[in-house]
Amino acid sequence: MHVLEFEGVSKSFAEKNVIRDVSFSVEQGEIFGLLGPNGAGKTTLIRLLLDIIKPDSGEIRVFGGPLTADGKNRIGYLPEERGLYRKTKLMDMLVYLAQLKNVPKKEAQTNAEVLLKSLELYEHRGKRVEELSKGMQQKIQFLSSILHNPELIILDEPFSGLDPVSTKTIKARILEYRNEGRTVILSTHMMEQAQKLCDRILMLNKGQRVLYGTVAGIRKEHGKNSLFVEFADKGSLNVIGEIPGIKRVAEHEGSVEIFPEDGISTQEVLQELIRKTEILRFEQMLPSLNDIFIETVESASGE
Amino acid sequence: MSKFSGKTFIVARHEFLKTILRKEFLFMTFVFPLFIAAITIIPSLLSSTTAAEDQRVGYIDMTGSFDFPKSLTSEGFSAGPMEAKTSIIEFVRYEESSEARKALESGQISSYLIVPENFIKTGEIELYASEKGASVPDFELSAELSNIAIDSLLKDNVDEAVLQRVKDPVNLKLYNIGDNGESSEQGMAEILADFGLPFITAFLLFFSIFSASGYLLRGVAEEKENRIMEVLLSSATPVELLTGKIMGLGTVGLLQIAVWLSAIILAGGYALPVKIEPMLLFLALIYFLLGFLFFSSMMAGIGAVTGSLQESQQVAGIFTFAAAFPLIFMQLIITKPDSPLVVFLSLFPFTSSVTMLSRIGASEVPFYQVAASLFILFVSIHAVIIISSRLFRVYLLMYGKRPGVKEIMRSIREAGR
Repeated sequence: MHVLEFEGVSKSFAEKNVIRDVSFSVEQGEIFGLLGPNGAGKTTLIRLLLDIIKPDSGEIRVFGGPLTADGKNRIGYLPEERGLYRKTKLMDMLVYLAQLKNVPKKEAQTNAEVLLKSLELYEHRGKRVEELSKGMQQKIQFLSSILHNPELIILDEPFSGLDPVSTKTIKARILEYRNEGRTVILSTHMMEQAQKLCDRILMLNKGQRVLYGTVAGIRKEHGKNSLFVEFADKGSLNVIGEIPGIKRVAEHEGSVEIFPEDGISTQEVLQELIRKTEILRFEQMLPSLNDIFIETVESASGE
Repeated sequence: MSKFSGKTFIVARHEFLKTILRKEFLFMTFVFPLFIAAITIIPSLLSSTTAAEDQRVGYIDMTGSFDFPKSLTSEGFSAGPMEAKTSIIEFVRYEESSEARKALESGQISSYLIVPENFIKTGEIELYASEKGASVPDFELSAELSNIAIDSLLKDNVDEAVLQRVKDPVNLKLYNIGDNGESSEQGMAEILADFGLPFITAFLLFFSIFSASGYLLRGVAEEKENRIMEVLLSSATPVELLTGKIMGLGTVGLLQIAVWLSAIILAGGYALPVKIEPMLLFLALIYFLLGFLFFSSMMAGIGAVTGSLQESQQVAGIFTFAAAFPLIFMQLIITKPDSPLVVFLSLFPFTSSVTMLSRIGASEVPFYQVAASLFILFVSIHAVIIISSRLFRVYLLMYGKRPGVKEIMRSIREAGR
């Protein structure tokens, strides 16, 4: 089932196009990455989907139709610009925010207590937000976005400002939610995290869709189709010359990178090599999401 | 889009509870009237206790023509309607000032008077009092001495009636010719009611409207400044937030005005000879509600457009100044309630609630004018709410440079499409 669908959506502010004809869909139970450089339109896209702003054209469907009041209650949102009531007591604020998602007061209190305990923040429940450290505030904000057990969780830069331990905790939570069949939309700059966590991604640049698909698929697509090989015996290098269909060989420290000719797969080359010599290690080289990100953005700005 | 969904009530309850627990609110609501009450009541309590002692006053009459009574009863001055405290002044005659001085030093008398020989020419009487110890307040004694002087000089020369007239020459009575041609006597209580009450109600109305809509302005600007607005908007619509806030803070304002009015009624029975008519109370509530709706929705729009709390308060100040106009023209409103400027002020939505209420307190206002002012206010509220909720939608999440007037006008038009 599509949890979310964008169809030819455009939005402009004061004659400046922020989102240009973007289409994509998010499936239930996946972690969907929303990537792109600063100013690419990620936050605008999230606000469009939350019906905070209206699109100029195109159609947005959430849970199969236009976003309803009930639909909003099933979404959890962690905005990039973090905001909490500074002078309100932690517990009161969490309960209020959950009540705005139609959670009854009692249930909101119980949920808040359980979550505060699991994030080791329970002892601070009577404090005001301004008394907490920045990192704790970040965790509280994350907590407030999941307090009402949403089916769709939208996290805008959830790891910014977190220490490694907290990052690990939040990451574990995100995976846990995915395994429970919930859907997570993750907007981030941190390509390493996106590569590890996301099932599929959408990359925006200047308001346009530049990449869209599974992480594995995109990496393969952008792969240079080369093979890293480490031989047991250095002398085996000559063997390469005996294999047909090799375009180029690049020597690195202790290993070689083999580029086959177009139309010949790295698998065929590998089979030939194994038949002829002993191989310690081999690796199909795929570019990281980070490399693809930089390459895509740079090639776009070079146009 | 239902305007009064459950979320509206959640927002309303949150805003209500948050505000009534603020220190500023508790201070303004409870300490402020106590403070005012203290100012009005304490002086009258003080003055009624000081002059209550009986006194002995010595005198030396060098003209030989003064006819001091043995004692006289002096009415103490009191501001309240309580029974005026009286004190008895006993006069003791001395021949020499040295005798009188001795008596003063020994405490037999609290002060003594010397009527000099040339009194007829100068009108001077000297009063000597010891530095310590209470003496008769001289302004009281002066009035009594005038009467004694008039008695002594004229007693056998004129009629008793003339004597009384000289003591109390003119007694001005004020008559108002009403619309129906009847004249009515205006007593002190009515003058107080006519001038004091409109001013007090107008003042209270102004204060409660602006403290309540001020909370709203501050709330919106804070939520925008600390970026929680985006979270709220992902849960509720701008209209739900706006109506919830206005309902919650409107209830706060009603609570405040109720506390103040009951304080006035309680104090009124005690210190002010004023009756408050139920009709005026009812209209005060109506005008509070409408005035509050008008200004609070405007404040919400201002809070949405401006970038920070400080900036929003500056912009809001301009409108508050416009609304304070009736307080500046209060004298005109009370003395000439039917002049064109006052009629205009009582119809103009920025000033109508405060002006109209003062006019109703001061004089009879034609019914059609009250109805017209309510109608205009009602239509304006509708317009302001529409404009504000559009601004809410467009600007609530925009930060940085405040948009210019032209840009705002365009967004109001565009958001309506």
